[in-house]
Amino acid sequence: MSGAATLPRNTTRQAEGALHGDIARLLHRFTGTVIVLFVLVHVIAQAVLHVPAFGMTKAAAPWLPVLQSQHWMHAALYFSIVFHTLYGLKLLASELGMRIEYRSALWVIVAISALVGLREVLRYAGI
Amino acid sequence: MTTPATITVTAEIRRFDPSQDGEPRYQRFEVEGLANMSVLDVVRSIYENQAGDLAYQFACRIGRCGTCAMRVNGRPVLACQERCKEEMRIEPLTPFPVLRDLVVDRTEIESRLAALELAPKRDAQHPGKPEPIGADLAAKLCNMDSCLLCMVCVSACPAVDERPFDGPAFMLKLRHMAEHPADRGDRLGQALDHGMLECFNCDVCTQMCPADLSPAQAIRDFRKELVFGGVSKR
Repeated sequence: MSGAATLPRNTTRQAEGALHGDIARLLHRFTGTVIVLFVLVHVIAQAVLHVPAFGMTKAAAPWLPVLQSQHWMHAALYFSIVFHTLYGLKLLASELGMRIEYRSALWVIVAISALVGLREVLRYAGI
Repeated sequence: MTTPATITVTAEIRRFDPSQDGEPRYQRFEVEGLANMSVLDVVRSIYENQAGDLAYQFACRIGRCGTCAMRVNGRPVLACQERCKEEMRIEPLTPFPVLRDLVVDRTEIESRLAALELAPKRDAQHPGKPEPIGADLAAKLCNMDSCLLCMVCVSACPAVDERPFDGPAFMLKLRHMAEHPADRGDRLGQALDHGMLECFNCDVCTQMCPADLSPAQAIRDFRKELVFGGVSKR
């Protein structure tokens, strides 16, 4: 044997790194909020754009139609919809008895959602 | 022979003595030692060399008793198992009342555990001889029974902060009884009464558990039982 005899300490590093559960929970809330906000803004924007009674508002807000077709907004929305749906389904499935590893499930769902969001960005870029 | 790596730890400890202090305060200490010191080593060094009036508690030092649970940089950990860091803010376990410094009052925890009656509730007298039990179930029960009741999961649980939920440790204990073949108590009903449905199913308790248990899975098993019904023990 060479070197100092050291005990194999069974130390943890729990105070470091990400808490997967917190990331998932906060993302789920955030994406839910994005979806609700988008629906609200979308309904109001469509009313302003298409209801003649809101003509004055439409004239005063020429940026509104442009805002509706921003690629980053669509990317964020699609990411939110996919993440919220898949994570919600994951919660349901796990509570109905399916064994799902929480770390890998989170990153797989984030990856799928990011791909869908990215697809929107690429679609706007004509790729 | 190689010289072991050393580290200088700056620890900021929350000090509070309700009999003397109006408000909690943070006191900074510097500790030099081996790089693989645990948080408990740091706290003990501070107590022995710098602050003899520091209140903290520990017992086994090997992660089996759950006595030394405290918050390090906002995360609940077992101090005897957690590797020290260069900068640490050490606080008592939340959301429990502080007796002094890093010592929390476990009276309510103990009274809640007692109220749950965590021994098999039998509908007939014990036969007076060992009762047969399957090897898999026995292993599962032993595993669930290895909960230290350190309350790390309760301190980490976001649902405990936000909702009327007792916490993952209590659910795990109830599930342990629900799985026990001799128990005839309404454990699902007890879990519901103690906020089982408030859990976010986020698995933070699973990630933080120093005994590598999954209180979240215990809660999921209860929820599954709620939907599909439990397995008959008769």
